Amino acid sequence: MSTRIWAIVEKEWAEMLKNKMIVVTMALLPILLVGMVLGTIFFMQRMPEDEVSGSGAPPLPPQLQHLDPKTAFIIVMNDQYMFYFMLIPMTLPVYIAAYSIIGEKETKSLEPLLATPIATWELLTAKSIAAVTPAVVLTWLSFLVLLVGAWFIATDAVFLALIRPVWLLAMAVLSPLFALLSVLSGVIASSRMNDPRAAQQLTGIFIVPVIAVSLAVLAGKIFVDMQLVLYAAMVLVMIDLLVLYFAVKLFQRETILTRWK
Amino acid sequence: MIETRGLTKRFGDVLAVDNLSLDVAEGEVFGLLGPNGAGKTTTVRMLTCLIAPTDGEAWVNGHKVGEEDTAIRRCVGILTESPGLYERLNAQQNLALYAKLYGVDDVAGQVEKYLRMLGLWERRIEPVGGFSKGMKQKLAIARALIHEPKVVFLDEPTASLDPEAARLVRDFIVEVKGEGRTIFLCTHNLDEADRLCDRIAVMRQHLIQVDTPARLRQSLYGRKVVVQLQEISPAVLAAVRELPFVHQVQQEDRRLIVRLDDPEAQNPILVRRVVEAGGAVQFVTEQHHSLEEVYFTLINEERAADSRTQEAVQ
Repeated sequence: MSTRIWAIVEKEWAEMLKNKMIVVTMALLPILLVGMVLGTIFFMQRMPEDEVSGSGAPPLPPQLQHLDPKTAFIIVMNDQYMFYFMLIPMTLPVYIAAYSIIGEKETKSLEPLLATPIATWELLTAKSIAAVTPAVVLTWLSFLVLLVGAWFIATDAVFLALIRPVWLLAMAVLSPLFALLSVLSGVIASSRMNDPRAAQQLTGIFIVPVIAVSLAVLAGKIFVDMQLVLYAAMVLVMIDLLVLYFAVKLFQRETILTRWK
Repeated sequence: MIETRGLTKRFGDVLAVDNLSLDVAEGEVFGLLGPNGAGKTTTVRMLTCLIAPTDGEAWVNGHKVGEEDTAIRRCVGILTESPGLYERLNAQQNLALYAKLYGVDDVAGQVEKYLRMLGLWERRIEPVGGFSKGMKQKLAIARALIHEPKVVFLDEPTASLDPEAARLVRDFIVEVKGEGRTIFLCTHNLDEADRLCDRIAVMRQHLIQVDTPARLRQSLYGRKVVVQLQEISPAVLAAVRELPFVHQVQQEDRRLIVRLDDPEAQNPILVRRVVEAGGAVQFVTEQHHSLEEVYFTLINEERAADSRTQEAVQ
């Protein structure tokens, strides 16, 4: 990584750590989600079988037919939660990304920053890395906490379903790529709008496709396997690069400096 | 070191800088004066490659604006109108960030050098948000110098500072000037410009006048000598007016204000003539015009010319 990119990343993290509210609020969502998944596993395992797999339950995917209906249903529920885990790195850094350029403009630190030899792509990459990394690390940490908790309370079948290679791959690869997409969109919004609230709202739109896919999985319309995760990862890499390209193209130094008040 | 030829910047229909041609020599402290909206900040932004000129050409340290922007950014430092520091970070972190962005080899050493020079070393780990305005401004100037640039652009370096802080900043600029850097100073503080600048330019969208403060005074007012007498008689007044080298004589109370070309050579003759005519000379001194007078004369002449042009068009 270039020295300039790393310098900006370091600066962003140092500023982030000085703002305790950002750190606390970032940690809240993963903690809640871990609690929700573990709570679901814990209580559903203790519920009578007919209550869990009653007539209102969605159809079970064929690969889970060999399991007892209650275990299979808990696994389907957990698969659904895995999508929410992927939403964490998309939602956590949104505010940071939306504020990335607008914040610099508001504190009047953007002009001296742009007067340095830093290239636009370096600046935007640095801003994105700085916003994505804590969110991804928090997601991975919370997933680890979930696994440790599940190891204690879940049945073997439920636990093994959580550590299926497909989810580990999704968590390791898709989650940062989704996060990067969300953050880059936030950075674009931040460099085109002069109000962080508007930028933040616009970034929220990118969460919709992930929710749609998760609903399709719950409805049994899509089955998540290794092939799908790999294809999704390749597509996301291309989309992320494309979005970075557009972010650089759309970053108008002159407009930001002279027209934003 | 800095050269502009017909540099022009338009924002839509608004002409911010019009056909500006300037030359700033290496090691010179060059002051750019003008009212609010005169185009000073826009000029600095064009020369530091923050915004692109609409027309014209400019070179900084031999690099052409618009073609070698990264090279220019590497060799210039800029103090913007507002310090724009990261207030949650400390002084050391603020300077270290810019040292890294400019590719300084010895980041820690360079940061320490400037923090010690500014007397901020003892407070290096305090968040900048708690610093006084003067300290922030000094830190912002240090940030502009952290990579030892050849050209430094200072936009209103003492604006909104109390007199003590302004003096600290001015003293620091004098130190920087002593290091032989080229300094391009935009200021509203005419006294500051007078003290610091080798040459000044007065602009209002376009260049009105550029020269040394002394030559600007002379070109506008000539050199004037004040002769104070116990009493001014008509004979004394007539005797002075008769001298061939006297361009103009004004009487103010018991003082004669005499416009001359070369007071060093002509004063002895003038004083002798006054005494011969019966005048009792109390003291003789040269009248000084402040840069403020020069500035307002130029700006007012410019405004009057604009009004005449507009009337003629109508």
